[in-house]
Amino acid sequence: MTPDTAPAHKPVPVPDPTSEAYWAAAAEHRLALARCGRCGRFTHPPDVVCPHCLSTDPGFTFEPVDGRGTVRSWTVLRDSFLPGFADDIPFVLVDVELDVQVDLRLIGRLVDGPDAPLRLGDRVVTVFDARDDGPPVPAFALDPTAEGER
Amino acid sequence: MSDRFAARSQVAIVGYAHSPVRRHHDVPLGALALDTALAAIADAGLTKDDIDGFTTGSLLPTSGGHASVDGVSVVTANWLAEHLGLNPRFCAGFQGFGQIPGSVTMAVNALATGAADYVVLHRALHNPPRGRYHANPMTHAAGPRQWVAPQGYFGPLSMIALPYNEYLQRFGASRDAMAAVLVEARANGARIPWSYWYEKPITTQEYLDARVIAEPIGVLDCDIPVDGVAAFVLTRSDRARDLPHQPVYVAGYAMGSPKRTRLPTHWPLDDIMEAGFEIRRRLEDATGLTPDVVDVPQLYDGFSPFVYFWLESLGLCPVGEAHRFVQEGIDAAAGGLPILSGGGALGNGRMHGVPQMLECYLQLSQRAGDRQLTSATVGLACHSSPHFGGAVMYTAEPL
Ligand SMILES: [Zn+2]
Repeated sequence: MTPDTAPAHKPVPVPDPTSEAYWAAAAEHRLALARCGRCGRFTHPPDVVCPHCLSTDPGFTFEPVDGRGTVRSWTVLRDSFLPGFADDIPFVLVDVELDVQVDLRLIGRLVDGPDAPLRLGDRVVTVFDARDDGPPVPAFALDPTAEGER
Repeated sequence: MSDRFAARSQVAIVGYAHSPVRRHHDVPLGALALDTALAAIADAGLTKDDIDGFTTGSLLPTSGGHASVDGVSVVTANWLAEHLGLNPRFCAGFQGFGQIPGSVTMAVNALATGAADYVVLHRALHNPPRGRYHANPMTHAAGPRQWVAPQGYFGPLSMIALPYNEYLQRFGASRDAMAAVLVEARANGARIPWSYWYEKPITTQEYLDARVIAEPIGVLDCDIPVDGVAAFVLTRSDRARDLPHQPVYVAGYAMGSPKRTRLPTHWPLDDIMEAGFEIRRRLEDATGLTPDVVDVPQLYDGFSPFVYFWLESLGLCPVGEAHRFVQEGIDAAAGGLPILSGGGALGNGRMHGVPQMLECYLQLSQRAGDRQLTSATVGLACHSSPHFGGAVMYTAEPL
């Protein structure tokens, strides 16, 4: 295979001090999010200050959270500006509010695909997208056992 | 009332110029900006030595891995002043999104305080010469991108698709309704000689047949990237009355900001709308004017859903109704509310908030030619998303 025809790679996350615990948990198929050491509330992604209590020394620690949540919106990608996803077209990205805290949001791929019926308020669970060259990436699947809050 | 904006009606637009809008100009952006600024100064009845203030917002384009070069891919206020051979008293750039209302705030404040007497406000937009505007051959995602790019969430189309779909689902709207916005923007852009879309209107069917990229966003829901420059001249109202054209007065301005810290590309619908409601309150506090007196409301449309968001958050139609309102009420030529009479970004090309500001100026100064509206007394020019942009109100007579 020549370089010209080699498939483009999906972007591999580069962990840094603010994120290494997130990706380390993902490697074990666990969702862990940043929790403020001052007010105890979660934020994603962690910022310089805690957006809730505005502490400039939030001492974030990544703690495991329940990956269940509610679909607040979605889009079906029929083209991708990232060449590494060209073979995945079409795919669905969902904007999910996690149960663990009001307005705690995560954007991820919906593994059920573009043909799955989807409505606002649908219930999802966190799953993990395996990757060849990086940690698994948090994604979502429709929760067949749950009633949506329609 | 004492708590109105202290500089209300103290500053006016007195002239303008606009370059042709093209996919790619064969002259450097800086040269186009210089020629356009000089044309605007002449239009205002001034010479360049009268100008002692410059402002712009030069942010974007920064996508696609193109390095930003002043005078080539961006044109800052300082670059423009220096290359006009001037050493102005006031020269400053607006740093954020909402570059046009942001620059207007700086020009108005500088003029009202006497920091400058004649300000050139310009905007230079560049379309990178090679590759797709937003395409990115990223193999690793560091920094903020690590939270979304590994999922395939990247770029402004996905960013706007999420709140747009949230809108459609929440209010039971169809994406087909947006055809009315595109038909109106392009019908008006088709009448503007400098527009990229001059003499190129589209039909509802052409909109419906266009390629969908990030559902519900299709290719025609996005303004087309272009090279183009616009420039305005502003001065204090007492000086404006001596100049050749009818002045258009700045009544007030309001900027928005997100209430919550999120990823820069994560725009839930409620974040956008809350900021829009706040802008409406701030505009009314500053000017004393309510939405019902605005007869030239120019809504930002760089992505078509912004038209719905601005219509509703500014109170020009009820929340949840914009998708119905645009079916009946926005045909400027038929006496509808002229929200896109200047063509907007969808009808001119990616000139950011320039078409909105310019249409307010042209209509309120009675310079809109065959597009002149019967009633043009109060203008409202929006730019960007409400939660990163802002709006300026203009009047034909001082308040
Ligand atoms: Zn906190």
